[in-house]
Amino acid sequence: MSAVRPATSLDGNLALPRKNGELVFEAPWEGRAFGMALALTDGGPLAWNDFRQLLVEQIRTEPDHRYYEQWLAAFEALVTDSGLLTREQLERRAAEYRSMERDEVF
Amino acid sequence: MVAIQRDIDSVVVNGVHDMGGMHGFGPIVIETGEPVFHAEWEGKVRAIFSGTVGRYYNLDEFRHVIERMEPTAYLEAVYYERWLHAVETLLDEKGVLASGSAPAPQAPPKRPSNFPAPKFKAGDRARARNLHPEGHIRLPRYVRGKSGVVTSVKGPFLLPDANAHGNHDVWEYVYPVRFAARELWGADASARDSVSVDLWESYLEAVR
Amino acid sequence: MSEHEHQEHDPHEHDHGHHPEPPTDVEARALALESLLIEKGILTSEQVDEIIRTFEQDIGPMLGARVVARAWVDRDFRKRLIEDANAAVGELGLSTTNLARLSVVANEPGVHNMIVCTLCSCYPWMVLGLPPTWYKSPPYRSRAVREPRVVLEEFGVTIQEDVEIRVWDSSSDLRYMVLPERPSGTADMTEAELAELVTRDSMIGVGLPRVPAARS
Repeated sequence: MSAVRPATSLDGNLALPRKNGELVFEAPWEGRAFGMALALTDGGPLAWNDFRQLLVEQIRTEPDHRYYEQWLAAFEALVTDSGLLTREQLERRAAEYRSMERDEVF
Repeated sequence: MVAIQRDIDSVVVNGVHDMGGMHGFGPIVIETGEPVFHAEWEGKVRAIFSGTVGRYYNLDEFRHVIERMEPTAYLEAVYYERWLHAVETLLDEKGVLASGSAPAPQAPPKRPSNFPAPKFKAGDRARARNLHPEGHIRLPRYVRGKSGVVTSVKGPFLLPDANAHGNHDVWEYVYPVRFAARELWGADASARDSVSVDLWESYLEAVR
Repeated sequence: MSEHEHQEHDPHEHDHGHHPEPPTDVEARALALESLLIEKGILTSEQVDEIIRTFEQDIGPMLGARVVARAWVDRDFRKRLIEDANAAVGELGLSTTNLARLSVVANEPGVHNMIVCTLCSCYPWMVLGLPPTWYKSPPYRSRAVREPRVVLEEFGVTIQEDVEIRVWDSSSDLRYMVLPERPSGTADMTEAELAELVTRDSMIGVGLPRVPAARS
């Protein structure tokens, strides 16, 4: 675990949605997106600050998107920018899920 | 961030921090989606506090520095600004900042093994003394001179009045005392409700 | 947006299995990410689970909720909790070395408890996480002792006239926590399910536990 908790650098309009202090995920996928980003940036192969910058970008360019949509897009950008996965792989896999060829959830 | 005025020169009596029952602060603002820290510096202040409290200064000294703040500065400061002010002041006063190396941290005081029996027991009526000392005290103004019922005996704990001012071996029993709402707030208050305050033994006198 | 059709999913439900209907766009994207990252050996789903769990516990009141749920199912534990909260909390495997002296006050028919620190902001943070800003603010600190019923109405809680409100001003080394009453209709719930009903506000005394959704 890194010395600085990533959560403390998410302030203002970057702040994680909470209700009275507790984290709020409106759907399970939001929790997964949250967990994946932290898994890979908090002592993992990717840099937290890079993710944070991408999140700032997303919020700026897509202000009407809901928070975790912005988060998801930022994480996709991080993973593809770093070469861990390609856009094509992600799009193909997502299509398989949408068409129900694949149905394993986490 | 407001510039925090250094402590007022005279010793503080009945500081503005003692707020129970005061009017005029307005509605409670509940921030939905509130983050734990509103900005990164707040988390850092808390981390510095956690790393230094109990080693270079104690919690009573910490609270008292905040209580000594100039009243408007206290009320205007964002919550963690008060902590920042207290940590800076204490580390400065204790020479931690100025010296090239950190002084040896204080060992936590040990509770004495032989201790006299508590003066009060559950069920006793007791009155909070009408004390208005210079310096630190944990006796809220709104109960001074009021009578209530002792509900249990706790501690002994270090007496904050002494511990905040350099005397680290005064220990006393603490009593949660229940005060009827009407005793505190007058005949218009609820006949049923109550407020319990934890009071050190020297804050209390027996009621005949 | 299409993800709203999944609003009726309980966010706490965790279905390690198959999806009954086609995922929404955003769900499909999240699933794609996770399945590919797992296949490449970059992370495991357990890692992701653990982060969510740790994060919620680290910063939220889940510790307190576990204590309350245990007290609801185990009458002897409840008794021990009220007599010596530190020892009882220690039984659940929670570290007690840094735990301040805790005192648990129980709601019961006829008694509703509420916590405040009028002098500063003392709070049982070892079991509830960090306090919300409103708890530390002058309006709450000044009014909770003076007009608790009005304050509770502002939080959306109505306490009947014949119920005694006990406000506890945390003026000493003791840190107070409220043990709320167990909601009705929960007899067949597991301890883990019960813990989900316990809100931070119900352990301060400005809220009540959640009521379980109607069961079919």
